Amino acid sequence: MTLSSDFVIATAIGYVGLLFLIAYAGDRRARKSSGSFLRSPFVYTLAISVYCTSWTFYGAVGSAARNGLEYLTIYLGPTLVFVGWWFVLRKLVRISHGQRLTSIADLLSSRFGKSSRLAVLVTVIAVIGIAPYIALQLKAVTSSIQAVAGASELGDGSLKGVDDVSLALGVAAAMALFTILFGTRNVDAKEQHHGVVAAIAFEAVVKLTALLTVGIFVVVMGGGFEAIFASAQAKGIDIYSDETFGNRWVAMNILSIAAIICLPRQFQITVVENSDESHLRTASWAFPAYLLLMSLFTLPIALFGLTSMPAGSNPDMFVLTLPLAAGQQGLALFAFVGGFSSATSMIIVEAIALSIMVSNHIVMPIALRTARGLGENDANGVSRLLLNSRRLSIGIILTLGFLYFYFTRDSDALAPIGLISFAGVAQFLPAIIAALFWKDATVKGATAAVAVGFVIWAWSMFLPSFQNSSPAVAALMAHGPWGVTWLRPEALFGSGHLDPLVHSVFWSLLLNTTVLVVVSLVTSQSALERLQANLFVDAFRPTARADQHFIHGSATSHDLFFVAQRVLGSERATGLFEGVPRADMVPSPEFIGRLERELAGSIGAASAHVMLSKVVSGEAVSLEEVMQMADETQQAIEYSQELERTSSELRMTARKLEEVNDQLKELDQQKDEFLSQVSHEVRTPMTSIRSFAEILLDEEELHPEERRRFMTTIHDESLRLTKLLDQILDLSAMERGEQGWENWPFDAEASLQRAIEICRGLARQRNMHLIIGARTDGANVCGDSDRLCQVLINLISNAIKYNDAAQPKVEIRSSVSRGRYIVEVLDNGPGIPKAERKLIFEKFARGQMGKGAAPFGAGLGLAISRQIIARMNGKLELMPARDRGAAFRVTIPLA
Amino acid sequence: MDRRKLPSASLFFLIFGTLLFLPPLVLLFNQHLRVLGIPLEVIYLFAVWLALVVGTAMFAYRLPHDGEQKTEDIG
Repeated sequence: MTLSSDFVIATAIGYVGLLFLIAYAGDRRARKSSGSFLRSPFVYTLAISVYCTSWTFYGAVGSAARNGLEYLTIYLGPTLVFVGWWFVLRKLVRISHGQRLTSIADLLSSRFGKSSRLAVLVTVIAVIGIAPYIALQLKAVTSSIQAVAGASELGDGSLKGVDDVSLALGVAAAMALFTILFGTRNVDAKEQHHGVVAAIAFEAVVKLTALLTVGIFVVVMGGGFEAIFASAQAKGIDIYSDETFGNRWVAMNILSIAAIICLPRQFQITVVENSDESHLRTASWAFPAYLLLMSLFTLPIALFGLTSMPAGSNPDMFVLTLPLAAGQQGLALFAFVGGFSSATSMIIVEAIALSIMVSNHIVMPIALRTARGLGENDANGVSRLLLNSRRLSIGIILTLGFLYFYFTRDSDALAPIGLISFAGVAQFLPAIIAALFWKDATVKGATAAVAVGFVIWAWSMFLPSFQNSSPAVAALMAHGPWGVTWLRPEALFGSGHLDPLVHSVFWSLLLNTTVLVVVSLVTSQSALERLQANLFVDAFRPTARADQHFIHGSATSHDLFFVAQRVLGSERATGLFEGVPRADMVPSPEFIGRLERELAGSIGAASAHVMLSKVVSGEAVSLEEVMQMADETQQAIEYSQELERTSSELRMTARKLEEVNDQLKELDQQKDEFLSQVSHEVRTPMTSIRSFAEILLDEEELHPEERRRFMTTIHDESLRLTKLLDQILDLSAMERGEQGWENWPFDAEASLQRAIEICRGLARQRNMHLIIGARTDGANVCGDSDRLCQVLINLISNAIKYNDAAQPKVEIRSSVSRGRYIVEVLDNGPGIPKAERKLIFEKFARGQMGKGAAPFGAGLGLAISRQIIARMNGKLELMPARDRGAAFRVTIPLA
Repeated sequence: MDRRKLPSASLFFLIFGTLLFLPPLVLLFNQHLRVLGIPLEVIYLFAVWLALVVGTAMFAYRLPHDGEQKTEDIG
């Protein structure tokens, strides 16, 4: 009896469910307490062992069966990197904490002047380079399901008639789904995923235990190490390969050294997820120890498989097929879970790391540039966009992995597929080493180097992997492009005698490094690049962190000297500038820092910084520039949300202040105008009163008739004056909101009738006909009936007084509509010129006509009327211009 | 040993460890010999590996702690 495929798949799904629980619990624990065991250095170390994928679990045995000890190189390189943790990893972690790096692309971009072009290039290369690695996992999981369920048994259960391509597609889709569920539940600004790390650490224990159990089982089965080696030798298997320690050995060691640093998932776990630098100390020995244990039984399993299994069985699956052949179903299932563990942990972490790169360096910059309003009022907008772009990226990454699997499904061994990816990401290594240790490396050098390395890798290693599926590629490999034989992918420059792997690694890394060095030497750095170079290379120098200014630009030492001279005086400035070479040279960031400290001693740190920023760049770096520099990083997202919030708050406050200020200014001006208007209005009658009074006093022999006329004028003028003053008091009281004003319900129609009756006399004087238009039956409004009457009299009498038409007419109508009482007063007078339409409700504004006519009113009538109607919650307005005449409308809400 | 010398000591430890894994040193043990039934080079590689693990563990907690940070400190 063998295991049924349904049972195997159910086991896998159950196992993933368990991982979910662990990740969930891990996230909760991490949130609750920072000192939990999740943050122990051992969990960190176990998570780093995400390095051991199904390549290690299944492929290493296959590799050992085919190439002997060569499989060890994959683990010796990382061992050496961790032995030397003090020099490279520690620096990476330190820098990453200081600069809050989120990925390998972020690291290179940040070091090389925050170049977004380099970040995009690195991201694209990583996504393409990792595709074979993902394909390897899909292939391993697919084969392991087939192997453990038994090829003959595929006829049963739900896998009936399913070929390996469909099975791999299903595996890829399932992996994409649960990577999305795992890794994109929320966005952490530090890109730390405690739950995922917990699950990965758990998987590390599962795969190690499974492999050790199978190993011990095999050794026991085989009768001990000695017996296994002896029987292998007896069977004619070469257990002392003389070929092992040649070029390939060296090349593969270099590749695995590069991989442990450059693989996006390793960078993610080792550097980004590191919460405490001292954890590296434990990892430095514990991770090599883990690797040692993982590879301890590889060779015995391979040799025992080769001696005991039928010829032609796939050595990559010995870990599964040996227990199965011995009838150990349970052990085989455990081994399957171990292999599944190693594949899922790799896919989860790799896809998360790559999706962070894709979303931070490709999607976000585009989104920030195109969608201006993004996140402005919506703090969740950015997070949502990030999560969605990550989900999409994960889908794309697994699709690429599946496509690679589909096109290269004829290749049988796992390890060579993985090496393609290793060689791809190894192209980052020269740039990273330069980033950490060589200050003069420039962004142009790094970009060109990575690009050249990538092209050669793609040509000499990635492309040839399709030779079995594409005749065109096969032809290209045989004859070279356009028959140029020295460009054949596996025989560049006539070096066809080399092993293809050695060939590709040698040429790509050689040209990569050469370009890096040469281009860096002939190009120069921007100020920001120099600044970042110092921060990276001198990460351990205590002063390096203090100089984190955003000074950028191109002031010459001449400009700076001028400033220094003014602040420090000639003598000190000359002393300070001694040894600074040419006047037109751009001084180094250190020098600017030193100068700033000197200046700070004289004028204070803040002023010194402002002053230098202005001089160095013409102006301080603007917010947009800072944004642009950092917009690839998660930091920027965090920043921008914060900045947007604060700045929009500030903008709003400033706008409000401005409005209030404008209002105050306007009020002040109104007050001044009002005063001058009042004095003018008072002055005119006063002058005439005074002059008439003087005449009466001086001229004693006035005709009584004349004397009477003068007295009448004085009386009239005094009345006008009193009326004016009354109105002013009235208006100002009303404007201040004083005066016992109470709104009572009353019949507005009655007030209108009263006003019409009062005005009839005036109309008759002027031979005018008052036309009473449509009227409503009575309308209850809330307000003061006398005041409303006053307003209506004012409107009607104005219409009568200023009407100069040959046949003057004034029409009055009222109505009720939509809960409002409306009175309209229309005349056929001169109307109100457009320019004055806004002004007539202002104090002392008389229409043009008012000037010609007798100065009857003081120009306060409409202003007061408007105030009165406003008190009744209504509106007094001038209706839109007509051919002739003016039309006023009073609207008051019904009670 | 003076603590100041530890970083350079660990660098040399790394360099010699690397050399031990590479030809020509590794070829010295490729002698078609077996110790306890296991090929000598296998024993050799795992022994060097183990020595590196032990040596690194000894260095790990003695190397200076200068300005080590946790993410919490950085906030």
